[in-house]
Amino acid sequence: MADQGLRVSGLRVSVEGNEILKGIDLTVESGRVHALMGPNGSGKSTLAFSLAGHPHYDVTAGSATLDGTDLLALSPDKRARAGLFLSFQYPAAIPGVKVPNFLYAARQAVRPGELTPAKFRALLLEKMDVLGMDPSFLGRYLNDGFSGGEKKRLEMLQLAVLAPKYAILDETDSGLDVDALQDVGDTINALRASEEGKTSGFLIITHYPRILQHITPDVVHVMIDGRIVKTGGPDLAQRIEREGYDTLREETGALA
Amino acid sequence: MPSLLSPKERGAALEAFATTRTGREKPSQYWKIDLETLVPNASADGAAGTVTIENASPRAIAVDLQTATREHAALLNRAFRRVVEARHKFAHLALANASLGAFIYIPADCALDEPIVVRYRAADDEAIFPYTVVLAERGARATIIERLELGGRALACGVAEIVTEANADVTYASAQFAPPDARVLFTRVARPGRDARVAWASAELGASLSVTDLGITIEEPGVDAKIATLFFPTGAQHVDIVSSVDHRIGDATSETLVKSAASGRGQGRYLGNIRIAAHAQHSDASLRDDALLLSKTAHIDSIPALEISANDVKAYHGATVGALDDDSIFYMTSRGIDREAAERMIALGFFEPAIDRFPTESLRDELRAALQAKVTA
Repeated sequence: MADQGLRVSGLRVSVEGNEILKGIDLTVESGRVHALMGPNGSGKSTLAFSLAGHPHYDVTAGSATLDGTDLLALSPDKRARAGLFLSFQYPAAIPGVKVPNFLYAARQAVRPGELTPAKFRALLLEKMDVLGMDPSFLGRYLNDGFSGGEKKRLEMLQLAVLAPKYAILDETDSGLDVDALQDVGDTINALRASEEGKTSGFLIITHYPRILQHITPDVVHVMIDGRIVKTGGPDLAQRIEREGYDTLREETGALA
Repeated sequence: MPSLLSPKERGAALEAFATTRTGREKPSQYWKIDLETLVPNASADGAAGTVTIENASPRAIAVDLQTATREHAALLNRAFRRVVEARHKFAHLALANASLGAFIYIPADCALDEPIVVRYRAADDEAIFPYTVVLAERGARATIIERLELGGRALACGVAEIVTEANADVTYASAQFAPPDARVLFTRVARPGRDARVAWASAELGASLSVTDLGITIEEPGVDAKIATLFFPTGAQHVDIVSSVDHRIGDATSETLVKSAASGRGQGRYLGNIRIAAHAQHSDASLRDDALLLSKTAHIDSIPALEISANDVKAYHGATVGALDDDSIFYMTSRGIDREAAERMIALGFFEPAIDRFPTESLRDELRAALQAKVTA
């Protein structure tokens, strides 16, 4: 269908009156892995939060649709129920809310009535095993006192359990820990191999090309100063690895 | 039921009630009740209220106060009126009218696993003055759960007093879900022995007015003193809590944990006193106090009062007052959970560290259910 995909068109976003995104056009296709790369401050995380519906980001123009559904008209929870998932770089710690209770509430919200609590627990333990997570995670409060690596794993567990249509992974300046990168790569690959996730589309946001050693993107977009300046294949990521962003900046005439 | 005090003592107690000041703030734009001039318009007729005691072990003594006066006077006197102080205004009133109550005595090295439940009941419009006395001997261990079942417009003005010997371990939990027009005024004070542990856990969820004074006086080294309280004024409820930990000797630990929320026009006031005397070196005191405001007309005044005269101590104080965190709400909603459910989960989670301090899963579940009802109200 023509409107398939996570389609962003002419998106302009401001934060406290400063325009950060200056007209983004980008389509994440179902079943494909897209990488969004760019230097610090180029607006990559802003795109992620805007699409997920964070109230601090003002969308001033453009559109964003998920398989034809107008995302911008929906509250964040409804965007998630439409099939969007955002993996946070710095997820909130919520004391007193136990991990499995939260995950069950989220799963029920996104895929209502599919699983009994007992079946859900079995699914959870299976996914945790894949991620090498200790069952003691189930007794802990959501991100409360978690290390960076533990938070990343919990985000990946949520991705695995919710199996969204489109997942945005904000890895802007994290993933410096090799194990965490491996977890992200493994989760995406496992999800793509599963029945639930074989049509999922991914947008991996990253500053460093390193994460792309663990998961090969089909498409690479480069964002500089709030605009997509170049789109290409995996070789584009390799080029950034070699040359950094400066030559691209010059070549495309993007502002410093 | 006869009064426990002679007419002369009773007169002195009433006089003390009338003249003692609580020192609490005067009424303001938000807080409507003056505790200094509050005279509960209820007089004891000596017959009001009932007490039942459940799970009384044959290895301990757990009897109503009248029986204790007749049959265990010597034991009772080791704890009765041994901890309350002249400054406890409402304790004077409770004492003046004391006839209803319970006495729990746990002999040396007796460890009771099953919590003893002390249940006080008052009918509609009744005033009761329940007085609970706990004496735990050397190495004794017990958990006591106090429940109040009040009728409409009832008043409960009571005292709980704990005295322990060395190495004892007493947890005393009280949770009140009184009707919205009832009033509840309690003084709860403890004096643990050397290396003993005493834990108060109190939940103030009902009543139009709830005034609680929670105290632990540390006069022996090695004490582990714990106070946990949670309260949640909604509608037009007023809750006033004072906690006082008095380190009069060193080498003891205290931990105070307060979790409160307010919504509607609910009013909360908390004063957290920690005193460490000049010679009480190596004291370790912490006070954690978090308040959650769920409406613009709700207020919680939270005042920590740390008075530390010793120089070689650890004293921690942390406090927060605020609304629900936007980033937490966004995180949960970004997972498909609707905003209302997310707020409810976050607010309930906020109380969880305090709920954890209460004994028995059934009591904790009861607290969760009551809090959930208040969050969604």
